[in-house]
Amino acid sequence: MLRKDINELLTQTGPGTPMGELFRQYWVPALLAEELPENDCPPVRVKLLSERMVAFRDSEGRYGLVDEFCAHRGASLWFGRNEGAGLRCPYHGWKYDITGQCIEVPSEADNSSFCQNVQLTSYPLVKLGDVLWTYMGDTATQPPLPEFEWVHVPDEQTYTSKRWQQSNWLQAFEGGIDSSHVTFLHSGGLKSDPLFKGAKGNEYNMKDTKPFFEVADSDGGLFVGARRNAEEGTYYWRITPWVMPAFTMVPPRGDHPVHGHFWVPIDDENCWTYSFDYHPVRALTDTERQAMIDGHGVHTRTIPGTYRPVANMDNDYLIDREAQKRGDTYSGVAGIAMQDASLQESMGPIVDRSKERLVPADSGIIKARQKLRKAAIALRDEGVTPPGVNPEHHRVRSAAVVLPQAESFLDSCRDAVKVNPGVSQTSV
Amino acid sequence: MSLSESARAASASESRFRIDVPIAPARAARVIALDDRAVTVARRLAERPWAHARFYTAAGIRDTDGLLHGLNGGISPLEEALTGTDVVVVLATEDGGRAAAAAIGRICRQRSITTAGVVLGDGFEADDAVAALRPYARVLLLTADESDAFELLTALRV
Repeated sequence: MLRKDINELLTQTGPGTPMGELFRQYWVPALLAEELPENDCPPVRVKLLSERMVAFRDSEGRYGLVDEFCAHRGASLWFGRNEGAGLRCPYHGWKYDITGQCIEVPSEADNSSFCQNVQLTSYPLVKLGDVLWTYMGDTATQPPLPEFEWVHVPDEQTYTSKRWQQSNWLQAFEGGIDSSHVTFLHSGGLKSDPLFKGAKGNEYNMKDTKPFFEVADSDGGLFVGARRNAEEGTYYWRITPWVMPAFTMVPPRGDHPVHGHFWVPIDDENCWTYSFDYHPVRALTDTERQAMIDGHGVHTRTIPGTYRPVANMDNDYLIDREAQKRGDTYSGVAGIAMQDASLQESMGPIVDRSKERLVPADSGIIKARQKLRKAAIALRDEGVTPPGVNPEHHRVRSAAVVLPQAESFLDSCRDAVKVNPGVSQTSV
Repeated sequence: MSLSESARAASASESRFRIDVPIAPARAARVIALDDRAVTVARRLAERPWAHARFYTAAGIRDTDGLLHGLNGGISPLEEALTGTDVVVVLATEDGGRAAAAAIGRICRQRSITTAGVVLGDGFEADDAVAALRPYARVLLLTADESDAFELLTALRV
């Protein structure tokens, strides 16, 4: 349960809001690199944290993220001509470089200095892995680039997709640290999904449907350990890291690639879900990569030319009641990602958390909300840099492990939950 | 094109028609502090307005026959104090409450009472208490932030 004012604080991320300013302390995914595939390709509309922008890749391969609207008459630069190391508004020919600096106003006299005084708001846009990242905060406090392992392994070891989710970011994010829903909502996928099935850990998941949880602070956010019974005298632990504000990893299964998410607010009623898979020590196989492209695992089939899922609220998520009855899927919705999204979107654009009835098993969510709220207020009132800004906080992994019952997952898995280049993930 | 049922139902305008009734507190909680520092935290928590939560200290309890001391006075046998509850939140800051943690856990398991442990501090001072609670506590929250205990109780509507 959250009071209305706290719910508003956590869900509103526009400019000037406490959570909006918190998000603006971090590098966040802005778009996929595939959306700007070559120099001088068409610009792309980007809306993040309730700000409308266009992204483009200029003639020299440099990336820019600038205010969507021309400073002259407010026409959208999405219609712009991307040519000659700049983006030109097709209305009257005003031209901007990747920093948003106006570099040409054709109606002015030759050699006029007028355009030097015209500057669109712009943000840095940097390619790391499959993702173009931006930082929308004060340049004076711009942190070093992210060091998440998934964007630093070689290209052949990683794959990232994104999908539009029609809900506030917090609804989507909270699913990422809510391990107790897996045994129910995703039970079909554990048996059949090519990126999940076959792992020994799945057996523990299915045999013990009432996990116990341990929630502990980490430098950048939290570790949430979900514990199930394994063989006599042992527990099967699944350890989920959360790095503030919105990065989570799913504990691995066998030698399958490791996956996770980054949730980025588009506005207060929509968000992007970036979903990734990577393997720390080997290339993804052709079969694995194709399964990801086909929307298996944490990925989604999207409508060609868009990042909207094929199964979406406009077609009732293609719900199949017969598949539900047969047990192929638990909810009738196919695919891990849309099983989550369908329920999170069903709550409404911004769920009223004052109506919740939480239980102790929701402690990870309770603690995460508390950390977000405190960080947003500490930043607003005292200028405190929040956890997760420091790139060292990004070097975490999820893990799955069987431990003797007396052992603490935190003590036993200190190395397993740290990035260790050249060493495989800890998995069961 | 007409909206699908899901699209219409998830819209902000449709949310106006959700049934809106007050949510009655559903938990009869017992909050039990296992050691002296935990008692200090529990006293601060007990000053807040709760619906049905009752606060105790278990300092000195070694087995299920032990006595709980109510923070507002009164002494109850552990078995009796846990009668009628459906959630027990145990507060610990050090290992001194290990035996009490195990005793409380055993009773809660026998009676199907959901148990949550909030271990305050850096975690190292209460290793044994954590180990004693682990078999029984549905959730262990290991935190340096005392206000997490308040947030947990608030979220549980106790």
